[in-house]
Amino acid sequence: MTEPEEIRAGRAAATEAPPVFRLDGVTKRFGGVVAVEDVAFDLRPGEVHALVGENGAGKSTLMKIVDGLYGPDEGMLEVGGEAASFSSPRDAEASGIAMIPQELDLFPELTVAENLFVGRKRPRTGWGGLDWETMRGEARKRLDELGVGLDATSAVKRLSAAEQQIVAIARALVGEARAVIMDEPTSSLTERETRQLFGIIQDLTAEGVGVVYISHRLEEIFEISDRITVLRDGHHIKTAPASELDAEELVRLMVGRPLHELFTRSQSSPGETVLEVRGLTREGEFEDVDFALRSGEILGLAGLVGAGRTELAQSIFGIRHPDSGEIFVDGKEARIHAPQTAMERGIFYVPEERRSQGLILPFSIKNNITLSILDRISRLGFVSRSERGIADRFMRELSIRGAEVSAPVNRLSGGNQQKVVVAKSLAREPNVLLLDEPTRGVDVGAKSEIYRLMDDLAKEGKAILLISSELEEVLSMADRVLVMREGRISGEFSRGDATQENVMTAATGTAGREVSEDE
Amino acid sequence: MSEARARVAGTESGARFRRYLGRPETPALAFLVLLVVAFSVLSDKFLSVPNLESILTSVAVLGVIALAVNQVVLCGEIDISTGSMLGLCAVAGGAAAQSTGGFLLPLVAAVAVGALCGAINGTLVTLGRIPSIIVTLGMLYALRGVILLVTGGAWITGVPNESRVLGMGSLFGLSAPVIVLFGLFVVMEVVGRHSTWGRNVYAVGGNRRAARLAGLPTNRVRFFAFVLVGVFVGIASMIYMGRAGSVQTNTGTGLELQVVAAVVIGGTSISGGRGSSLAALTGAILIGVILNGLVLVGVPGIWQQAVLGALILLAVTTDVVRRRLVGDGV
Repeated sequence: MTEPEEIRAGRAAATEAPPVFRLDGVTKRFGGVVAVEDVAFDLRPGEVHALVGENGAGKSTLMKIVDGLYGPDEGMLEVGGEAASFSSPRDAEASGIAMIPQELDLFPELTVAENLFVGRKRPRTGWGGLDWETMRGEARKRLDELGVGLDATSAVKRLSAAEQQIVAIARALVGEARAVIMDEPTSSLTERETRQLFGIIQDLTAEGVGVVYISHRLEEIFEISDRITVLRDGHHIKTAPASELDAEELVRLMVGRPLHELFTRSQSSPGETVLEVRGLTREGEFEDVDFALRSGEILGLAGLVGAGRTELAQSIFGIRHPDSGEIFVDGKEARIHAPQTAMERGIFYVPEERRSQGLILPFSIKNNITLSILDRISRLGFVSRSERGIADRFMRELSIRGAEVSAPVNRLSGGNQQKVVVAKSLAREPNVLLLDEPTRGVDVGAKSEIYRLMDDLAKEGKAILLISSELEEVLSMADRVLVMREGRISGEFSRGDATQENVMTAATGTAGREVSEDE
Repeated sequence: MSEARARVAGTESGARFRRYLGRPETPALAFLVLLVVAFSVLSDKFLSVPNLESILTSVAVLGVIALAVNQVVLCGEIDISTGSMLGLCAVAGGAAAQSTGGFLLPLVAAVAVGALCGAINGTLVTLGRIPSIIVTLGMLYALRGVILLVTGGAWITGVPNESRVLGMGSLFGLSAPVIVLFGLFVVMEVVGRHSTWGRNVYAVGGNRRAARLAGLPTNRVRFFAFVLVGVFVGIASMIYMGRAGSVQTNTGTGLELQVVAAVVIGGTSISGGRGSSLAALTGAILIGVILNGLVLVGVPGIWQQAVLGALILLAVTTDVVRRRLVGDGV
């Protein structure tokens, strides 16, 4: 597209401009079972079109069709008013469609500039060598357009998650993208970085670029999208302007049943202190941390990504070794130097990355659930047959659905995989659960089930430390909220005092007003 | 995911077939059957009881070591020191046999030396946190050096017959090497399927971080996998000595790569977490069948290496294709 057209497209964004791309009647099957069926979707220039649905609703499949990774079995794809058929993401890119996957496809060892030009025709010098000067210049120009001061010559692996996201966007722009598909772009971003990303999205749309925004975070969706399309079980449920929907309605459309309460938290009556931490310090990660956790209590641990919360929890679990400080379990000092000792004292940590830290992917669901109790259910070194019954019981109690107990765990959806990770820790019957982002990347239905489970566990008298970057989650579930900033506890609020403003102020260290714009 | 649901439905329809197709050793087994049929057609000498037994006897040393290295590979590590280790164990066992004779003492000596070597490998890999390929490569050279230092380059000859039982003996018409090979196979298969240790090996290889977070002793598991290799190499060295009757200083040279080849050809994933003892056994037998069959159908010896290499590549390719068919994701 030429320059004037771009500008015109940008101006026409608000009105009925011809779509950047359009899908109609699209059906895609995998081995006889339908992933998406008869779905229509279109993206107008300059709009943010949110695509929502539970895990497995077909969002990714649909966007992979647009990106040329899958060919549709039925239906058609139109780009710029003409029928198109892509056989690879490269074709899609040539037509101005770029996808930024959840797991960024950048090359960590290469520099920002190099990443921007991977797979493209690179400028050459008169000698036939690569013209690095021009490439760096071009990279700088793109980054400036995005309004970020990134060094084009630094290696991508040194950048933060947010900066990498920006590099991925810049890469799409180098390819003159007219449509950018973002899959869960904020899942690893902090609140402030999310703000920055939204600013960039606004700039993009002002220039007439259309953005497809896939996310589980409802507040974000309502904040930035112009239109919302809901998919459920591969079917197109609704497309409507964001202004005509509210959160309640959206959740109902996604889940297919009315869902008045996402969060479940009963009246709590915390008992004895079961875990106490005094002056815990680990150089460069956290400093002089004190807190106490009582049985039947859910203690929220809020803070920005990188505030040291995960490191703190992992130190209590014995994966990291604190430089100083003491840990008391049931009033007695505990020397915990390995996960085994933590587990013996009744502590269990549920990691945030379920695929890389929580699950043994080649294992069946059963073997994953019983992994933590192998020593308990074996006799003379051989695994007892009671294993199957235990796994079956947790499948039932946590309503793990989607595959049978002996099927490989990677057949399950993300939400159900997360339940398997939780089941594994519950099998060990811990008194203290350290939950690290237990609902990240999990659909609304599974989320509400996990919340209910947490509530049940607290009622049974288990003590729960809930690390979460979702404020809503911490505020709704926790009896008490601790906030960490740069490795230190920067605030503690009772359930009544914990407001978004208070917590964000403590987490960022800035005046409340600046961050309260968020909501 | 809907895709996942699609896969589940797919497995329900052709469940049994897919489950067999999905087993790691299936392609190797199918290929083994194919080769046996082909060689039987091409040569009338191939399909006879004495020839088949001689194949199994000839791969016993390779197979026994492969069963143990298989465990190391399953837990995500590798051991390429077994060639020199076999030599050193045979020297230890041979020296014991020369001086005292008897069956048990040489075996104990060989196994003890093997276990010690394995413990060194295991310690360096777990506590030293050095990649296993480097550790065992170093040990491959170091142990060969020890052999030369200990023997001064001289052969060990005149091993008494009572010390050669594992190589020469037989029971119920089966040769001792074959009995040892299948005996250890059955033990490893049961251990792999039903024991906590076997489960731990798969877990550590499947995702070491997750295994550690579940409280599994990841270092202990890997350490003992290396020790197991040493023990099995010790046993294998007595089979070797029993058959050869003497021990040369170059005993076992090049064996380490054949062992890894057997494990991989059999279908155990080189990245760990997937595979079985049956895979290692199948891989070893496959190598024996090929080497034997090629000779019988009159293929010149100079072709052996090329054929073996092609086989390894074929095995890995089939594995990739099979995993795509089953929808395992590669």
